[in-house]
Amino acid sequence: MKAHRVVRGLLQNSSFPSFLMLVLLIILNAIIQPGFFSFQVFRMNFMTFTPLILVSLAQATVILVGAVDLSLGAGISLVTVVMASLMQDSTLSMVLVTLLGVAAALFLSLFNGFFIGYIGPPPLIMTFATSTMWFGTALLIMPTPGGHIPQAYYMVYGKTLAGFLPVPVLILLVAVAFCLLLGRIKAFRHLYAVGGSERAARASGINVAGTKIFAFFVSGVFIALAALCVVGQTATGDARSGQGFTLNSVAAAVIGGIAFSGGKGNYVGAIIGGIILGLLINIIYFANITSFYQEFMKGVIIIVALLFGAVPRLRRELSHH
Amino acid sequence: MTVLEAKHIRKSFVGVRALSDANFALRAGEVCGLVGANGSGKTTFARIVSGLLMPDGGELRLYEKPVNLRSHLDAERSRMAMVHQNLSLVPEMTIWENIALGREKTGSLALLDNRGAVAQAEKAMETISVKISVHERVKNISPDEKQLVEIGKALAKDPRILILDEPTASLDFHQVESLFRAVRELKERGVAIVFISHRLWEVAKICDRLVAFRNGETVGELDFAVQERNEKLIIPLITGQEVREKVRKGSAEREKEIAGRSERGFALELRGVSLDGGRLTDVSFSLRRGEVLGLGGLQGQGQEEILMILAGYLKGYSGEIRVNGKPLALRNTRHAIRQGIALIPGDRQKEGLFLEHSVLSNILYPKVSMHRGTFFLPRGRYQKLASGAIDTVSLVPPNPRLIVSQLSGGNQQKVVFGKWLALSPNVLLLNDPTKGVDVGTRQNVYEIISGLAEKGTSVLLYASDNEELIDNCDRVFIVFEGRIVKEICGDEITEERLVVASLNVEHSGEKSPGAGRQDGRSP
Repeated sequence: MKAHRVVRGLLQNSSFPSFLMLVLLIILNAIIQPGFFSFQVFRMNFMTFTPLILVSLAQATVILVGAVDLSLGAGISLVTVVMASLMQDSTLSMVLVTLLGVAAALFLSLFNGFFIGYIGPPPLIMTFATSTMWFGTALLIMPTPGGHIPQAYYMVYGKTLAGFLPVPVLILLVAVAFCLLLGRIKAFRHLYAVGGSERAARASGINVAGTKIFAFFVSGVFIALAALCVVGQTATGDARSGQGFTLNSVAAAVIGGIAFSGGKGNYVGAIIGGIILGLLINIIYFANITSFYQEFMKGVIIIVALLFGAVPRLRRELSHH
Repeated sequence: MTVLEAKHIRKSFVGVRALSDANFALRAGEVCGLVGANGSGKTTFARIVSGLLMPDGGELRLYEKPVNLRSHLDAERSRMAMVHQNLSLVPEMTIWENIALGREKTGSLALLDNRGAVAQAEKAMETISVKISVHERVKNISPDEKQLVEIGKALAKDPRILILDEPTASLDFHQVESLFRAVRELKERGVAIVFISHRLWEVAKICDRLVAFRNGETVGELDFAVQERNEKLIIPLITGQEVREKVRKGSAEREKEIAGRSERGFALELRGVSLDGGRLTDVSFSLRRGEVLGLGGLQGQGQEEILMILAGYLKGYSGEIRVNGKPLALRNTRHAIRQGIALIPGDRQKEGLFLEHSVLSNILYPKVSMHRGTFFLPRGRYQKLASGAIDTVSLVPPNPRLIVSQLSGGNQQKVVFGKWLALSPNVLLLNDPTKGVDVGTRQNVYEIISGLAEKGTSVLLYASDNEELIDNCDRVFIVFEGRIVKEICGDEITEERLVVASLNVEHSGEKSPGAGRQDGRSP
């Protein structure tokens, strides 16, 4: 009885189709990327995968509560710019500026969260508006890429701890631990309820606005981690460095089985979605596709990934109607 | 002890007065009915009492202390629970998650106590004798089960005051019985219960006392300790008029009519229609022109599937369907509508209406979607058509510009009817059309139906309430586990026979086995 439930639960799981997709892409990637399973390539890959996975988690959180965050990329850019313009070579400065960067990311997210929770504009428009605000602010601080990130700081991101644990993977493990913890917290359950049916949530005595703000706060934590990764990766402040993340994160979350209508999906899916997107970019790069076609191919593959996710639903509809 | 007392409660919504002078009192350990037509303010009152709405004025006392209920959370602290009419369940979550929702218990380190929540959910479902796994997601269960989960959710709060808002609207008589058993147990334990229902026989059966609302005011009270448990006494309180006699025709007239009809031929014939997985097995019947045919039986025995097939929703059936004598494979809903088959769905808010659109556009959608010929739509003609339909269904107020969500439940249902009248269908499929609709509107709906039948429209009616089948149908087919097990004609359609046949145990002539109403009135 219980085993049956587990099996059916697995097949019904919203991230099951994306898991199949992931396996497929890993195989494909292993074929065309030389030394895919070597430690060096693994480490290099995760340097780019980690921020993608983190933004996917950030986006998944707000989509789950029934919102969306289009300011995520601009937020990351702004954080990198702020950090690069303030950081000095002293250890104290590095620590303080890192904390400031995290605080800035949380503030930006909470700004969205408070407005969306208490005043209730459509999240799409609200976060679009804040995205141009963040981008404008970043340009004001740093019109051209630059600033100073000490070598001692950005080198950390490429390091391998104890000979087997690359720092990006460590960051990812921290994020996963955070996810596991969240899964057992009351407010996180409420996040699903609000995303699934706001009216039902309200009737059950849930603080709807507070839950939305909580979602944006959690999202802010992931965005902060992603911004630190980007600083480590690029070693500069750049008002455009986060641009690509916004819609990539939405695509990753949706590919990972997070329903755009909210309340459905899970973090496992979001992580898978992030990795899928990372593998995709890898494949396109190593398949030697001319840059003209790269963006086009990326779009095609995303659509294929979405079709994968639609298969169970289509099958269900065709059999019933 | 008076646990709840409301005096002169007022409440308006953007200029519309929902409650003008509501008075109500509830004692511990009693079941008090709250009755009234749709729009009389029952639900508004319940929502105010349970803290979901702020009243504009009046006085509210809980446990003999004056209160100002600001939010639902406060209501919960006063150990009050409400079973919502428009369900408060999150479809993507499991039953136990829903039951615990909003008051999750946490253990050490603020982590959720899931095991405790599951156990509590199981216990709550047991009290109302529901046998579904609490791990099932709410989206996968049927409407009646959702209703039961909603009740379970309220019970799990271990309330001292329980408000049941139309709890039986989608339940069949077995489920109603288990609910009533639970209500009586709660009463024994001193819980005070407010029972809001349109099903007056249920009110008469379970309540100790009842209060009637009309147009936002408390208009009367009945105490069953001193008065007879008779629905006839309740109706005048609700309508403000004396009881109108039932529309049911005399048997001679009926027989003459049926004889006349048999010459007119069949509008619809089903021959051996089956659906995979035993959902339907070998269903055969013929529907005459102008006939009102009922589908009865327990809930979920396949009645809805029959309607869904005929409406073109469900595909993959085997067997033959003939429309006007010609065999026809129904391709999709559009095809069915073109053949003059219209379905009035059970869940009007979800499948029947665009809630945020006007009455006018709702009525015209089918007409517009079936439009052929000219490039531009004939607006003038359509508007006339719509006001004609509004007249026929006697919508109150008869204003085509109103947004449907602002109408009361009964009037919303009239709009659903109006929608299809514009197409003048040959066959009307009705899926429990008066669910959650008040006495007056119900009468209205059935007048519309008999009017259509007289003009030659054939009607296939599925009703969860036997009384409706008795009052309206020429013939009733009882469906049991996907088969038609019995046909009951004309005067033989009685409560008793319907109940006996529904259970598929043949003891005709004997007393029905513990199900249905037993209030002694002859059917």
